Amino acid sequence: MSDVVLSVDRATKIFPGNVVALEEASLSIRRGEVHCLLGANGAGKSTLLKIIAGAHLPTSGSLTLDGVPRRFRSPLDAAQAGISMIYQELDLVPQLSAAQNMLLGRVPGRWGLVDRRRRQEIAREALARVGANFGPDAQVGALSIANQQLTAIARALTLDARLIIMDEPSAALNETELERIFAVIRALTRQGIAILYVSHRMGEIRAIGDRVTALRGGRTIETFDVAGTPERSLVEAVLGRDQALLERSPRRPARDALALGVRRLRGPHGLDIADLSVREGEIVGLSGLNGSGRTSFLRALFGDLRCEADMTLRGAPFSPRRPGDAIARGVALVPEDRKLQGLVLDSAIYRNAMLPSLRRRRLIAHPAMRRTVAPVLAGLSTRYSALEQPVRQLSGGNQQKVVFAKWVIEGSRLLLLDEPSRGLDVGAKAELYALIRGLAEQGAAIIVASSELDEIYANCDRIWVFHEGRNVRCFDPALTPRDDILKAGLVGHLVAETAS
Amino acid sequence: MNTLTQTDPKTTRRGGFDARRLGALMLRYNFIVIFFAVVVIATLLSDDFLTVRNISNLFQQASVVGIVAIGMTFVILTANIDLSVGSVVACGGMVASLLMASGWPPLLAIGAALLTGACLGALMGAIAAYAAVPSFIVTLAGLVTVRGVTYLMSNGVPIGGLPRGFGQFGSLAVPLLPGFAFPVLALLFLAVWGIAALVLRYTVFGEYVFATGGNAEAARLSGLPVRLIVTGVFAISGLLAAFSGVLLTARLRIGQPTAAQGLELDAIAAVVLGGTSLFGGRGGVVGTLFAVMLLQVLRNIFNLLGLGSFYQMTITGLIIIAAILLNRAIDSRQGRR
Repeated sequence: MSDVVLSVDRATKIFPGNVVALEEASLSIRRGEVHCLLGANGAGKSTLLKIIAGAHLPTSGSLTLDGVPRRFRSPLDAAQAGISMIYQELDLVPQLSAAQNMLLGRVPGRWGLVDRRRRQEIAREALARVGANFGPDAQVGALSIANQQLTAIARALTLDARLIIMDEPSAALNETELERIFAVIRALTRQGIAILYVSHRMGEIRAIGDRVTALRGGRTIETFDVAGTPERSLVEAVLGRDQALLERSPRRPARDALALGVRRLRGPHGLDIADLSVREGEIVGLSGLNGSGRTSFLRALFGDLRCEADMTLRGAPFSPRRPGDAIARGVALVPEDRKLQGLVLDSAIYRNAMLPSLRRRRLIAHPAMRRTVAPVLAGLSTRYSALEQPVRQLSGGNQQKVVFAKWVIEGSRLLLLDEPSRGLDVGAKAELYALIRGLAEQGAAIIVASSELDEIYANCDRIWVFHEGRNVRCFDPALTPRDDILKAGLVGHLVAETAS
Repeated sequence: MNTLTQTDPKTTRRGGFDARRLGALMLRYNFIVIFFAVVVIATLLSDDFLTVRNISNLFQQASVVGIVAIGMTFVILTANIDLSVGSVVACGGMVASLLMASGWPPLLAIGAALLTGACLGALMGAIAAYAAVPSFIVTLAGLVTVRGVTYLMSNGVPIGGLPRGFGQFGSLAVPLLPGFAFPVLALLFLAVWGIAALVLRYTVFGEYVFATGGNAEAARLSGLPVRLIVTGVFAISGLLAAFSGVLLTARLRIGQPTAAQGLELDAIAAVVLGGTSLFGGRGGVVGTLFAVMLLQVLRNIFNLLGLGSFYQMTITGLIIIAAILLNRAIDSRQGRR
């Protein structure tokens, strides 16, 4: 077909360590269409985008632009060929003006001198095409997120982009701003520019998309016409049925003793949690979109976020002011990013595992530390070659087990797990949840925040859906179909998104 | 993401892994290898090098910068830097001199000087840690301020009239074996080094220093008092700088307000040359000791060969650059940063 701008044919991307991020993904984008990309976290969306935008080279498979096979070595390469990517974290320099940003690295002029007038002209023209209500001299840092996105789109236009990739542009926008971006997208498609639009919100795809391709587990499942495809088939394609994780194993009823009782917790950015409790031996899941307050809530419980709280921990009042307070009361946090927050990567395994437990001591005996750590790591079935090894050398799953070992050794009774399975493969995930269930059986109270509903659906006793900083609904996964919980997260969002 | 069952030849690298690790291990302790190489060269170049007298002198001369470099190692291990040490050396020496000149007993005067150094360090560390200001800036301001205060205290002139015993202490040599006397300054340097090595290896504080430098966020979320630890390492650096200043004063037998200018750079160079990472979390005082002595031996060779200080500066600088490039290469090879 001549109206296909870009086609990706059976692209595969394997990262070191044999992690398959993308497996034979195929996609074709027509001139002037809005092509949506839909997929859960870890489905391979970003890898596919990065291959198209030239940030990754595919391990195998091909990419054809306007019928010519291409191999982009860098994002610049792709941009010059007419493919521009607008990142979620906008790659603009806040201190510079819109015009300077748009022509960064391609400043018009001669002999190292900037032709300011020409730059203003180019920028003004591109900004007009996206209907911006600000001039080329506006400082980018002072613009709203929506206007920054317009700047990024205008930049793509100055590059004569024929395909613009937008990675979850809606994440930081409110409804009116999003409507403006949509109007710009429609205007651009009329000029023949194709848009690859990534989102996991159904409503948006309905509003703007022509066709939609679903990704799951690194594979492209199917491409649908947006009009005429029932929502259910889309949801089905995206979520699939990951049997290993989805099967609920029977859970022993939790003990009666209350571990954590939150009557009210209020913190920054509208965090407002009411009447949430966890019993000993219970696993409570926190679901919701990114930015719904799951991480903030866990940080507040760990004393790492200033908040007003009326809480009890095992019957006694609890208001931690720093992580040390929470740890002393038997609270543990397995943070979202194990490499940046959980581990000292260049330090030995046993030294990482002992770190929280050293506070009551003054002197260190390395052999004794190793003797303490070894059985705990064995109990978590961690694979390593020597305790002196830097944690950096372990696989992701085993690194996460070292993080768990820190708190097992410390004897923590309330575990706060923030995206514990992030970046792990399916086998490691299953193992991790088996471990979490085991800890609960020993009486630990556990809160798991995850953006992957399948995981918490299969493993939790109760699931709280978070939305804009509040805990809106609580489900018992044994009595509720999974898709109902999913809808509470997605639909609840669309309904409640009004102002700000 | 799924894991592939069959392996892809492009993404697996197995062959020669162990050999490479061995090579990397040798490279990691390159400062020791280089040190002994330089010692051998020095011995070949000059018959005067490997004599008891010359070796004693080497340690004596290295003691001032060496003690400062040990404090600096603590600071750099937490991924900070202390530019103020040269000024604190002068300040500590000046406080001790002034108090002794006004009749204080030497031990009390020295105690006051050490306390001053520790407080100055703790103050700068606390500003860096609690106000989240880069330590580079805080200690740069400290460098200027403390030097200024030192000039003010002495009106810019050297302070003499120190107790006779104090001056003798500076050039005292302890007969360790019959016929082999070792300078007391050098012994103090080695003692400080030994204590520092034990603290880093066998105390919780030492463990916390490494953890804070390796990943401050992970350390904080493990309940470590990260800001207190940073304040602590600066206090140690200030304390050792002041101690160094007292020893220098004893050796010179006067309180010199212009003493130790630029000493911070020698100390930092030694720490980095000794394999401690400027990004924090890796290294230790063993490397620092070897590096301090290496630089001292180099200076010694130049003197024995009769080459002037211009050569010394040039070659020393080049060696530091080469060592840093080497460490950099090792890091990137092991996939760090």
